[in-house]
Amino acid sequence: MSKREDIKKIMLLGSGPIVIGQACEFDYSGTQACKALRSEGYEVILVNSNPATIMTDPETADKVYIEPLEVSYLEKIIEKEKPDAIIPTLGGQTALNCAISLHEAGVLQKYNVELLGANVESIKKAEDREIFKNLMAQIGAKVPKSITVKTLEQGKLAAEEIGFPIILRPSFTLGGSGGGIAYSLEEYLNILEHGLSESPTSEVLVEQSVLGWKEFELEVMRDKRGTFVVICSIENFDPMGVHTGDSITIAPIMTLTDKAYQEMRDEARKVIEVIGVETGGANIQFAVNPQNGERIVIEMNPRVSRSSALASKATGFPIAKIAAKLAVGYELDEILNDITKTTPSCFEPSLDYVVTKIPRFNFEKFPGVKDHLTTQMKSIGEVMGIGRTFKESFMKAMSSLEKGTGGLDSVTYSEAKLSSANSQRIYHIAQALREGVSVEKIHELTQITPWFLEQLKEIIEAEKSVNSNSVLNYDHLYKYKKLGLTDSRLSVLSGISTEQIRNFRKNNKIQPGFWVVDTCSGEFASETPYYYSSYHKKPNDQFKLKDPVVILGSGPNRIGQAIEFDYGCVRAIKGLKENNVNAIMINSNPETVSTDYDTSDALFFEPLTEEHVLEVLNYVNPKGVCVQFGGQTPIQLAPTIINEGYKILGSSLQTIELAEDRELFAKLCTKLGLKIPQHQTVLNVTEALRAAEKIGYPIICRPSFVLGGRKMEIVGSTEELQDYFRRNPDVVSATSPLFIDHFLENALEVDVDLISDGETVFIGGIIEHIEGAGVHSGDSMGVLPPQRIAAVKIDEIEKLSRQLCLSLKIIGHLNLQLAIKDGDVYVLEANPRSSRSVPFIAKATGIPLVKLAVRCILGQKLHVTHSWRQTKSISVKGVVFPFKKFREADILLGPEMRSTGESMGRSTQDGINPPEYVEALEKAFVSSGYKIPQTGKVFFSIKDKDKDESLELAKVLEAEGYEIIATKGTAEYFDSNGLKVKSVKKVREGSPHCVDMILSGDIKAIVNTTSGSKSVSDSFSIRRGSLEKNIPCLTEISAAKAFVKVLLKSQRTNKNIRVNPL
Amino acid sequence: MKGFLVLQDKTVFEGKFHGQSNWPAVGEVVFNTSMVGYQEILTDPSYYQQIIVMTAPEQGNYGVANTERESDQIWAQGFICLQLNQTQDQSRGQLSEELAEYKIPALSEIDTRLLTLHIREQGTPWGAIVVARNSEEAIEKSLPLIEEKKKKVAKDWVYETSTKETIFLKGQGPKGRVAIYDFGAKGSITEQLVSRFSEVAIFNSRASSKTILDWAPQGIVLSNGPGNPTDVVGAVEQVKKILGQIPIFGICMGHQILALALGGKTYKLKFGHRGSNHPVKNLETGEIYMTSQNHGYAVSEDLPLGVKKSQINLYDNTIEGIEAQKLQAWSVQYHPEAGPGPHDSRVLFDYFAKKIL
Repeated sequence: MSKREDIKKIMLLGSGPIVIGQACEFDYSGTQACKALRSEGYEVILVNSNPATIMTDPETADKVYIEPLEVSYLEKIIEKEKPDAIIPTLGGQTALNCAISLHEAGVLQKYNVELLGANVESIKKAEDREIFKNLMAQIGAKVPKSITVKTLEQGKLAAEEIGFPIILRPSFTLGGSGGGIAYSLEEYLNILEHGLSESPTSEVLVEQSVLGWKEFELEVMRDKRGTFVVICSIENFDPMGVHTGDSITIAPIMTLTDKAYQEMRDEARKVIEVIGVETGGANIQFAVNPQNGERIVIEMNPRVSRSSALASKATGFPIAKIAAKLAVGYELDEILNDITKTTPSCFEPSLDYVVTKIPRFNFEKFPGVKDHLTTQMKSIGEVMGIGRTFKESFMKAMSSLEKGTGGLDSVTYSEAKLSSANSQRIYHIAQALREGVSVEKIHELTQITPWFLEQLKEIIEAEKSVNSNSVLNYDHLYKYKKLGLTDSRLSVLSGISTEQIRNFRKNNKIQPGFWVVDTCSGEFASETPYYYSSYHKKPNDQFKLKDPVVILGSGPNRIGQAIEFDYGCVRAIKGLKENNVNAIMINSNPETVSTDYDTSDALFFEPLTEEHVLEVLNYVNPKGVCVQFGGQTPIQLAPTIINEGYKILGSSLQTIELAEDRELFAKLCTKLGLKIPQHQTVLNVTEALRAAEKIGYPIICRPSFVLGGRKMEIVGSTEELQDYFRRNPDVVSATSPLFIDHFLENALEVDVDLISDGETVFIGGIIEHIEGAGVHSGDSMGVLPPQRIAAVKIDEIEKLSRQLCLSLKIIGHLNLQLAIKDGDVYVLEANPRSSRSVPFIAKATGIPLVKLAVRCILGQKLHVTHSWRQTKSISVKGVVFPFKKFREADILLGPEMRSTGESMGRSTQDGINPPEYVEALEKAFVSSGYKIPQTGKVFFSIKDKDKDESLELAKVLEAEGYEIIATKGTAEYFDSNGLKVKSVKKVREGSPHCVDMILSGDIKAIVNTTSGSKSVSDSFSIRRGSLEKNIPCLTEISAAKAFVKVLLKSQRTNKNIRVNPL
Repeated sequence: MKGFLVLQDKTVFEGKFHGQSNWPAVGEVVFNTSMVGYQEILTDPSYYQQIIVMTAPEQGNYGVANTERESDQIWAQGFICLQLNQTQDQSRGQLSEELAEYKIPALSEIDTRLLTLHIREQGTPWGAIVVARNSEEAIEKSLPLIEEKKKKVAKDWVYETSTKETIFLKGQGPKGRVAIYDFGAKGSITEQLVSRFSEVAIFNSRASSKTILDWAPQGIVLSNGPGNPTDVVGAVEQVKKILGQIPIFGICMGHQILALALGGKTYKLKFGHRGSNHPVKNLETGEIYMTSQNHGYAVSEDLPLGVKKSQINLYDNTIEGIEAQKLQAWSVQYHPEAGPGPHDSRVLFDYFAKKIL
């Protein structure tokens, strides 16, 4: 059997904006699948609403639709394109849910579209807890005792039967959203209520707790003949109770006997067969009781998952690519193993190394949120470390987190940090070992398998022996390096500088060797250049690629540095290849396209730290290193790379420093006659208070060396500034100055992305922020082309941007953040690198910005005739926040970035119909998860400053038939200005109040602007209520205006949906 | 203690020695790519006179237990890996202690990937694990040991691993009487048969066909075993006499003996197949099994008339199964009993049961 000839056109669904639980791994899987399907001659139609992806590049698929992943839009696309089939298994839960919705809406039947990879029935079998439970019983597999409940009353009965602790899992939600563990009835009812509203089917599975059991995962594949293979076995370091996305995980399984493993494998096979996955990948999770080996099946995903991305990177087996081929009819033995090129894909990879994945969290960005890990995923990104041993791989993963010394840094030990899982637990385990707490005791507190703890203990014991003599002793140092201790950590422990340790290592050849990931433990020859370093191998001979260029990646996803930068890296690799330059990628993030061995000419899966990067550079001897594509991580490595004698391609170190150093940059702007907000750099609190008086409130405090506006705040008065320092005592010091500048209230902000060859500057595009100044650029919506800026002003912005770019001597990318206030343009910030907005601009304008930047850094001259101002379409950037997972956090926007992802709404010229801003807005809102109510109550609670503008909004809404409700102050203002509205009590005025109304589901949209800490805390419950009920809540007046535009549009032209490919 | 692996071509690997310096370890150096199952592998008689290199780096993690033995002793000569670990599970034994009990030295801290590539490129070499101060001394010590061992070792390895007395076992199955021709049988084969039939008897590799047939079995399993099938004394002749009398099912060495008895040939593979992930295609049913493998020899393509190739290895297309339908004899090169490895092909024992019952 081989590929199907009856299918010509296949539609592939992406996973939408990056959210917790669904990140760039689906860009990786989708991109791989597109490549695979097109190479088989199929026409591929891709739909995704996330512009920051490689898959939405026009060249990835035959047609790319950046449109909302919603039935109405998908139906339009299907109507237009008439695909023969849809593959829904490569776009995460979002794509699977879309497939079910399309089926239920009758769209698939209407247009005769076949689902490939998984059918509706098998999706439901895996997803519906009750059906799943019955099927497991049918094949003799155990599952935790559980009951599905649809109401609180049913829930109470179920709890009595099962007994506490109880795990709650809402059906059909992402990353366990809305779930949790309850130890008491009160906690239980609280989570249950939330879970019921979170689940699209209002169902929650209430389940026996298997907390503390060992957790395992198998990544499996099956073809239509029934050939079954386990691609990767994974063991969780953290026992049951922590979502697998938040657990440290290890591949292959370390602590199971062959018998236990094979029985698990047998069961996995039965599971995939009974669920009816005809072809493709699946992921099955098991829990094993460490006391008696009893095994239960936790869940099964009939699709490519986050774990399959990890498994693909861990083993070299491209699961998504193979899944796509199986979906169109191939069988496993008909597909060649990409890595060996001689053996077939129907085999089980054998690893002769160990892989550790460690999640990366961003709790610090959500004050008030407890750092506590449960069955609901909270991590933002992840890293993977490959080493020959568990210890080496674990420590490389620790280094990849880009935190501290890249090791098990000392902390103030707290036993409480062991007994309940949290993002810092690993450091506390290490500290416990350091302080002599026994492995048994730690096991008792954490339930972590003692084998792992014993391994960590060996590392800690070695650390204890480190001193200024031992680190400069050949045998000792070699031993430390084999255990994974970084030079930085050794430096801290010994007092010897990292440079000295590095030089000693160089002089004595204590350097890692590089092995390739080959899928077969060396049994067959493999030429695929996918490398990892190890001190269990002697240094290699010469690297075989000539004059390569190294691109440094962006490491783990975190808020402020995520998929947008991987986009830059992948495009840069393509750019280099087009110029016949060998491109080498270094990155540590297993979710990405850049760490697909198929993307670059050689991939080094390594931490992005000084030490690890320099070892790769030493081996490959590059003719240059690119630091401008991977965000802030590579930029920070630039000085060391230069110092070690390597060449940075593109903007020089001087340029980088000039742009990054706020003082130097301000001087430059002043010299050029450009306006910048009044500012001052201060080294302590006293200076800060004085500076603030001088500058005049409001001010923005900008700490040094931060990403995504960490601890950046707008401060309105001396009291607030004092409070700011009370809350953030470490924010200013002699070594870490604080930059204070005047906050431009009511200013309009823009992002400008430029490319320069040093002589010619090309403006890539200008994005106008929808929210006013004060909202981090990553968190504000944006529109291209600008809608509120006159052409002459744009000319002015372009002119000064060019001037600044040339003065900075930029080669390659530059991102500028500007503000317009009272007709004046102010320069806020310059980033001498690819930016978060680059992929959006590239998609909005069709101009391949990164490609142009690559030409510049290779020394070519720019010749571009196209201008972004010729763009015929209007594109709006939407934003997605993780607040659902951090329910205690306030959703108010500010200068500190907290969004995880972005969407894009496009409106294009359609025959004689011009593009419409409001259409693009609507799509961006829809893609960001906003429900657009057609009728119903809209609730206003507005700060004084915004009352005028909100009155206008309320008036037009009322005219369109919406009912306006407002808190007393707002209602009185509306009343006195001729708009009669219903007033509702604030929470502190007693029940029934506005939050009761929100929670009752009566309110369909909320506009809530507020300022001042008292009002903010008073109105917190309003915003939290909106999260609970999943109601649109606009907290900024300009965004509210945009949303109201959309409401009005949806009133008039609901049925008129337009979709167009890029 | 510093230890060395010296190969016959004088390649030396330095590592950490586990055991006593006077325990000799000389043998064919082979690598196994199974990620788990070290105890099953060490106790598999097919590894007789071999030094095992485990490609998976972490060994000993889950300790050892009597339930995971394939025989009552360790047959391998030596054990090589990157890390030799302890288990923290008090209910289980330590791998290092198990090795010491049988005086089997182990060498850890070896770059097993480098060693594996060497074996793959050069073909299975002989080698020795020794304790020495440096590599020169290690070579000096090892080369004579290797030469001596190569001369001294009795050629019929199968006989050395085979049961000396006939063993009669009561099975758990409702009926069926099955003989095992023991060429170094793994416990898992016996287990699979005992679970399906009511009577199982295990015969020495030099037992005559008459002895076996006198017991009146309904079928016979030719077991796995170590070494070169052409070195096995007597078995091929005896199997010829059994052919056509009762159904025959050969496994690994048993498969090679059957092929020779049918008039086929065998040859030595460059570095053998040892692992738990080899894809085998059943040409009759189209099924693909992930199989457990451990063999250095294989059956040649030029099969005699009446014998057909029934299964192939998808890695290198070598023969994995043959069938002489008229003679009711068939066999597989791999290990359907698993232990260690996937259970996919255990169905073959069911087929066997179906054929004879």
